[in-house]
Amino acid sequence: MGLKDKIEAGEFTILAEMEPPKGVDVSVMLSNAKRVKDGVDAFVIPEMGNAVMRMSSLGGAMVLQNEGLPTVFQVCCRDRNRLAIQGDLLAAHALGINTVMAVIGEDPSFGDHHQARSVNDVDLFELIKAIDRLNQGKDMAGIELAGAPDFLIGSTTEAGAKGKSTEVEMEEMMKRVEAGARFLITSPIFDPSLLDPYKKRIDLRKVAVIPTVMLLKSLGMARYLVRNLPHLHISETIIDRIARAPDKVRECVQIATETVRELKHQGFNGVYLSTLGWENKLPEIIEGI
Amino acid sequence: MIVADKKPIEEIIDYVKDYQSILVLGCNECVTVCEVGGKKEVGLLASALRMHFLQQGGEVNIGERTLERQCDHEYLEEIRDNIDHYEAVVSIACGVGVQFTAEKYQTKPVYPGVNTLFMGANEARGVWSERCQGCGQCILAISGGICPVSRCAKRILNGPCGGSTAGKCEISKDIPCGWQLIIDRLKALGRMDDYEKINPIKNWSTERAGGPRKVIREDLKL
Repeated sequence: MGLKDKIEAGEFTILAEMEPPKGVDVSVMLSNAKRVKDGVDAFVIPEMGNAVMRMSSLGGAMVLQNEGLPTVFQVCCRDRNRLAIQGDLLAAHALGINTVMAVIGEDPSFGDHHQARSVNDVDLFELIKAIDRLNQGKDMAGIELAGAPDFLIGSTTEAGAKGKSTEVEMEEMMKRVEAGARFLITSPIFDPSLLDPYKKRIDLRKVAVIPTVMLLKSLGMARYLVRNLPHLHISETIIDRIARAPDKVRECVQIATETVRELKHQGFNGVYLSTLGWENKLPEIIEGI
Repeated sequence: MIVADKKPIEEIIDYVKDYQSILVLGCNECVTVCEVGGKKEVGLLASALRMHFLQQGGEVNIGERTLERQCDHEYLEEIRDNIDHYEAVVSIACGVGVQFTAEKYQTKPVYPGVNTLFMGANEARGVWSERCQGCGQCILAISGGICPVSRCAKRILNGPCGGSTAGKCEISKDIPCGWQLIIDRLKALGRMDDYEKINPIKNWSTERAGGPRKVIREDLKL
């Protein structure tokens, strides 16, 4: 069963992040993806996450699709205007990609091309609507398409992020769903209980809420995230566990696996495994689920 | 100056149609010079609103006031004593004035009465045109004093592009090609050597792309 069918059927899905290379050597990405292909429903190809220049999501997705691996193409507001976005979407569908995920994109100041000008011609809400409109056979100018795509549309949600108003986030989620999103991927979740207020109020049959499980790579990384990304909640318990563990990497993998198990147990529609370049650790996480 | 243009009266009426008392607030600076938001225009807009509400059979109190500037605390303070006489404000200052008024009077709805357009010059009576986009890193020294960021439709730093024809821009026969202007000017200055130089890719982080900008002058702070 493909990702689209599984999401429609409300089955638990496993999405895995597969960062394309900063360069043209796709061998590592391909071998990492192939190693876990049986345990993953689709590979999400980030569109230059953290505004670091690398192979585009469309390019990376095509590399995997050509090897028979299902992908989720990320389409991003930051780098392209409405012409380019729609053009890429049509190209993606014609080339066999049927799942897209609309994202805003971090500001260029986060990345490695600080002086770049971001585009943001279309905001996230408008982008989701535009994809839905393409599905209905029309572009953003209202002109009829010669053949409409049939994308499963996803996007992001800040549900579970620290410091966010549940009210506002619920509104945002509902707006994205009304615009056409069928699945929403959260910010990294280290404490599943933070999603409780949303779980009570959202109909998981109408929209698949897919929490992100981020693999911590080290004690240093965990502390860095706590210091610099205040919207992420990483408890002292987790920090302590990593600090005390003789094999810290193994402990980090174990934490990720346990988080996935808990989210699955709680009835979420799936997880998005974010390994930030450590895709070679995916097999261990997936095997433990 | 900051150049603005009138908003359609229908749009303004739609913003304020439910209020019983409205202050039309003008500004004596740029919008007065470009004849869209000064004392005279405050009077005209207030009259138009009164006529509209009279025709609708309603009695709406329309106040008029023009401040020296709406982008300075001290002038905005001048309306503190009587702003509560009004349910809403229509500011016909630039977008800065509208926002600063709204920031100062947090519970008072403030609506824009003009569309703020650009930083430009008064070319002729009734004609204003864009000259600066405030990119935060002025390159006029290398372009003969003519700005490719504001005068070239594509904002290219090494022009002209293939769309430049007979000195006009491809987007309209009425718009001069910014790079043709630069070349003509460099020729007149005898500085065509500058045109031969390749301008490096621009740092857009100083422009709006880098987020809302701020200038802090420690030497001036109180």
